Amino acid sequence: MEKYLDELPSVVEAIKSIKEIIIANIVFIGQIPAPTFKEKRRTDLFMERLAEFQVDECTTDAYRNPIGIIRGTSPSKPPVFVVAHLDTVFEKNVDHNYTVRKKRIKGVGILDNSLSIGVLASLPEIFRKLDLRFESDIVLAGTIQSLGRGNLRGIRHLLKTWNTPIRGAICMEGVELGRLNYYSEGMIRCEVECDISPTPGPLQKFKSNAILILNEVINQIMELRLPQRPRSRVIIGKISGGFKHGTIAGKSKLGFEIQSNSDKMVKSIYNDINDIIEDISHQNEIELKLKTISNLSAASLKYNHPLVKSAGAIIERLGLKPICEPSESELSILLAHKIPAVTLGITHGENIHLENATMEIEPMYKGIAQIVGAIMAIDKGVCDE
Amino acid sequence: MNSNWLKKNTFHHSEFKDINRLVEEKKRKKIKISLCLPTLNEEKTIAKEIIIMNSELMSRYQLLDEIVVIDSGSTDRTMEIASTYGADVYKANDILPKLEKFKGKGENLWKALYITKGDIIVYLDADIKNIHHRFVYALVGPLLLFDNIKYSKAYYDRPITFATGKKKTRPTGGGRVTELVIRPLFSLFFPELTQILQPLSGEYAGYRELFEKIPFPIGYGIETSIILDTYEKWGLDVIAQVDLERRVHRNQDTKSLGKMAFVILKTFCKRLEKLGMAELKSEFFNEMIQYKLGNDGYQPDIYKDKGFERPPIIEIPEYRKKFKVT
Repeated sequence: MEKYLDELPSVVEAIKSIKEIIIANIVFIGQIPAPTFKEKRRTDLFMERLAEFQVDECTTDAYRNPIGIIRGTSPSKPPVFVVAHLDTVFEKNVDHNYTVRKKRIKGVGILDNSLSIGVLASLPEIFRKLDLRFESDIVLAGTIQSLGRGNLRGIRHLLKTWNTPIRGAICMEGVELGRLNYYSEGMIRCEVECDISPTPGPLQKFKSNAILILNEVINQIMELRLPQRPRSRVIIGKISGGFKHGTIAGKSKLGFEIQSNSDKMVKSIYNDINDIIEDISHQNEIELKLKTISNLSAASLKYNHPLVKSAGAIIERLGLKPICEPSESELSILLAHKIPAVTLGITHGENIHLENATMEIEPMYKGIAQIVGAIMAIDKGVCDE
Repeated sequence: MNSNWLKKNTFHHSEFKDINRLVEEKKRKKIKISLCLPTLNEEKTIAKEIIIMNSELMSRYQLLDEIVVIDSGSTDRTMEIASTYGADVYKANDILPKLEKFKGKGENLWKALYITKGDIIVYLDADIKNIHHRFVYALVGPLLLFDNIKYSKAYYDRPITFATGKKKTRPTGGGRVTELVIRPLFSLFFPELTQILQPLSGEYAGYRELFEKIPFPIGYGIETSIILDTYEKWGLDVIAQVDLERRVHRNQDTKSLGKMAFVILKTFCKRLEKLGMAELKSEFFNEMIQYKLGNDGYQPDIYKDKGFERPPIIEIPEYRKKFKVT
């Protein structure tokens, strides 16, 4: 590993020498819309690219996650997984054409997570360029149905149906270069829907207002006393409702997440919020529904796990300080299956979930070198202890 | 009318997706292929075109031998960006500098004949948003695989992007000058040519031996003139058209299309006269006059086009010397 760290600058240059291929993959894949549950076209293209790069096996699992397998030299070693989610938050009628400039690429979904899928498709060529062979099979998995209501179904199914042990895994996210996620918090993602049906007659002006009802829900959630230990929080993430300025809102919707590094605490807060909602619903004689759309259990590697240490060493050698925060993503599911895994970011960027999301090109080569290094570390056995 | 042409000489890009076969055929024929991108302020799209062609058709498959950008005098970073991604970049004015200087797409394409070394030259507009390497290999395919074909032209569905509110695309649109100007003219004078579905598409490829023997209008009339001159000299059978399925491009306003139509009409009428199919009693006026509403009422908005054409480049001594034409 030390040898690889010493060679990092030349590895970065070698990766850069095939920049056209890497950028072409990012653009080809990113320009295919892939809203959650509608990833088929992007899946087909990803598979096509893997096949063109002569990956030994290209297939989809029973849930239609596309997978490429680069055969290793030692059949007895379990495979190493490299994972990136295929879906984005943008619908297909949004303009998906990318703009490439000298230093940046701009386009919808590029940071979450088209860049990672483009890099994933380029890894076979990058390995060839670096003349790398691995003992383990390298499984390149683009997972579908990850975001929002997708609830990480793709990775859940992939791991549920993968019958043999997995040596370790790297999850890729577009940003930020330097992130080192090795634990995930327990989480429940919920929606509250308030639906006040119109009643006929002159009392329309005095009916309850669906927006104000949700406002009351938010106020009461904010009054909850959340513990510092285990660290817990409620994030109010989305709100919508109403019809027009002068009409009392009949419908409204609130989206939030409960996060904690204790699953028990997540459940306890969920019960508290459920009580709040039942109480407000009863007091106002209106229909208020709490729906769970996703949940995750807390899982973690130790900070001194060899995979975390190796990934941290690579990031530091690239001149960056590792940023360690929890990540609720594919990582959660891998860790829940007791598979050593980390999530790494590839480059710097801005406007991650806006239509003008922009990635920086130059730092990407370092980011890819870091991914390759982490794969090598797993292949050398850091997760075998 | 040769109505078989549409059936016989129309292809779909998927028929040429075996790029290895094309590379083999190119080697067997011992020829070189150049890609030329004429530019004028295309910094938003130029890099993507170069990167994709470089990646897919130079690095992964050796179908292209060079990518050349000929620029009309961009004031943005088009030239710098193109150079960064490995294209050979030239200012049109620096090529054959002793000749009178003109500005226009046709001028760039004509000068590319002097700069490029390919036996086949592929011309692509530099504003294609959904660029894919099929835009090149599918145009080159018929030229390599069918000995009778010397010129191939793209056609496609033309969704356009519009920038009001959220950026959205809509599935159809564009091609207005084709349907309102060119198709009626072809129907009136050259009904066989109506089989060319998008005569104004900016993506085409051909053998040098064809391009060097025909004149090039310096501006918008270039696509029309290539078709008419090729048809006149070699007939319809040397032309192929290829379905590239989809091309997303910038939408142009009606006024700009009016200017385009003006130049195309002029080019067309000149050809009619040359072929003895029509006689003009007086010279054309060189101004397209449109009107815009300003603070002082309607003001004329005049677009000038003298209809200048470059002669067949084979007649230029510098070219004959460079390419050893005896």
